[in-house]
Amino acid sequence: MEAVVCIKPVPEADSRLRVAASGVTYDPEGVRYTLNSTYDEAALEEALRLKEAGAFEKVRVVSVGPPRAEEGLRYALAMGGDEGLLVETRPDDLLDPGFTAAVLAEAVRSLPHDLVLVGRRAGDDEAGVVGSALGEHLGIPSFAFVTGLTVSGGGSPLKVRRFTEAGEELLSVPPPVVISLLKGAQDPRTPTLPNILKARRKPLLREPWTEVLSRHPGAPVRAPAMRFELPPPRTGAHLVDYQSPAEAAEKLVKLLREEAKVL
Amino acid sequence: MPISFDLTPEQRELQGLASKFAREEMAPRAAECDRTGRFPEEVYRKAWELGLMNLNVPVEYGGSGLPLLDQCLITEELASACGGMTTSILANCLALQPINLGGSPEQRERFLKPFCADYRLASFALTEPGGGSDAGALKTRAVREGDSYVLTGQKCFITNAPQASLYTVFATVDPEKKHAGITAFVVPRDTPGVSLGREEDKLGQRASSTATVTFERAKVPRENRLGEEGEGFKLAMATLDSTRTPIGALAVGIARAALDHASRYALQRTSFGVPIAQHQAIATKIGSMVQELEASRLLTWLSAWMVDQGKRATLESSVAKCFASDAAMRICDEAIQIFGGYGYMRDYPVEKLLRDAKLCQIYEGANEIQRLVISREYLRRFS
Ligand SMILES: Cc1cc2nc3c(=O)[nH]c(=O)nc-3n(C[C@H](O)[C@H](O)[C@H](O)COP(=O)(O)OP(=O)(O)OC[C@H]3O[C@@H](n4cnc5c(N)ncnc54)[C@H](O)[C@@H]3O)c2cc1C
Repeated sequence: MEAVVCIKPVPEADSRLRVAASGVTYDPEGVRYTLNSTYDEAALEEALRLKEAGAFEKVRVVSVGPPRAEEGLRYALAMGGDEGLLVETRPDDLLDPGFTAAVLAEAVRSLPHDLVLVGRRAGDDEAGVVGSALGEHLGIPSFAFVTGLTVSGGGSPLKVRRFTEAGEELLSVPPPVVISLLKGAQDPRTPTLPNILKARRKPLLREPWTEVLSRHPGAPVRAPAMRFELPPPRTGAHLVDYQSPAEAAEKLVKLLREEAKVL
Repeated sequence: MPISFDLTPEQRELQGLASKFAREEMAPRAAECDRTGRFPEEVYRKAWELGLMNLNVPVEYGGSGLPLLDQCLITEELASACGGMTTSILANCLALQPINLGGSPEQRERFLKPFCADYRLASFALTEPGGGSDAGALKTRAVREGDSYVLTGQKCFITNAPQASLYTVFATVDPEKKHAGITAFVVPRDTPGVSLGREEDKLGQRASSTATVTFERAKVPRENRLGEEGEGFKLAMATLDSTRTPIGALAVGIARAALDHASRYALQRTSFGVPIAQHQAIATKIGSMVQELEASRLLTWLSAWMVDQGKRATLESSVAKCFASDAAMRICDEAIQIFGGYGYMRDYPVEKLLRDAKLCQIYEGANEIQRLVISREYLRRFS
């Protein structure tokens, strides 16, 4: 069996974002990208552990994004992915999550995919749409809020553990399947220096997204962004001067009672 | 290769790895280890696991065989979190370089491989209580007895000595011959006659360990001699030629941390109703600090690039090490000044940076010696 992990490069959590000239997204200039923060890292870690346990022969990583998305894919290869596929967009192509899922579906369809893993949502737009939409486009089942996976290999059903309001649910599902993983106990590995060097020699294919999408039956619906704004700067912070922790606590309680009126 | 200041994606990734390690593993322990002088073995072990140690060991022996420029990029990132830990991480490169440069294929196989297969530390033992700068006058004796050499003498200020399992030791087979008598040996720590002095209590770089190593009739087999008798001085100098540039990068890392702290503080601290960064006296300080930092980094990159191109870089590596470490001292000093009274307090990060930076002016060739080397190299062009 073989697995595909979809990853999205997103700005690092401490980036200072500015609105792009287009007014509909952030300005990619001067932003450092990572794998889709910890969500995709967790998904990849899960796939790599399953591979190391013998469940998969190969783990491939796929990304839809601008040329700089290669850095995220190389990072994924350095973590242990076997091959990469970059579906390239141009910097001014704005793909909404549903549309990305359609492009991604055609990319995944071109690869063996007994299991498709995605992070629970993107670290930048927080949409959380791609996993389910991807299953829909591929015509295979998809499961969200998954906390754990057991794969015995050889095409036998996967045991999928899901987190629900009512409790944990254990399902048995035959491959192929799309899994959207909750960040759990994975503790993603840091690529070692030798693995970073080795990752440079691993195959990484590129295809323009228009070409990939041309294989898609019908025209996927687009939901273009109309405007992008940064949150207004926060005001109203009240700094408390104090000499000792006891005094700080006393003053805080007073403020919470009398000004904020939450106590 | 044409000059380019664009790092390759691979270099950016190595930088990213080092920066992440510095942020997550080193920085959180830096203040504690500085206070207590604890040697954070867990950090060094993790650095080894990630491949951040032994950067100069060739790939065929299990190292990463990185170009010097890449080593410098990594060093700057590490040092921005803790200079002392960086010194201890780099110490393996320094100690193993004589084996890299002067060892036979069999010796490299025997000594380098174990360092890449397992976490181990090694020390470079050149300096003696009687003098460091004048290495040609060292006194540790190596007397040939049959198929062995018997070493007697003392080495001081040896980084990682208490934890190292191997020392590269420089001793003389004939003090009369001065430089021409100096010979290099690989001495396992467990050799009978090798003993450790107490660990030094240092001004800075306290996460690193430093101690005296004494050799009392320590018997070393002839197979552990690097090169021929009398080739040791050249080997020591060639080693230092290639490790001096990363010391420049280490100073750049410390200075960068000081400048970053000072910049953030200057924007946030107010006096006379405005952030202190708006007072020209503070703004021009920062203006000068930025210049010195940029110049230091470019000098280390130039020196590393020359070494990677196989060019002779004695002048450039001395310039890089000397300028960057002097600049780091000035930058750290100004950072403390910008912090005012808080800068003088141990609860704030900048006074440690000054203490850590100081070492960069002393070890791997004191800056006075670097200036002599630089002037000698430069004047040669006119004679
Ligand atoms: C924390 C620490 C770690 C170290 N780690 C190691 C290690 O791992 N391995 C190792 O072998 N050594 C190590 N050293 C030793 C270091 O390299 C020496 O301290 C250094 O070379 C200077 O030697 P010295 O201390 O004997 O000073 P000296 O040589 O006695 O010099 C004293 C002063 O005189 C100046 N001076 C000397 N000669 C001249 C001259 N001709 N002209 C002008 N000025 C001169 C020097 O610059 C210095 O300012 C370490 C030192 C320290 C402090």
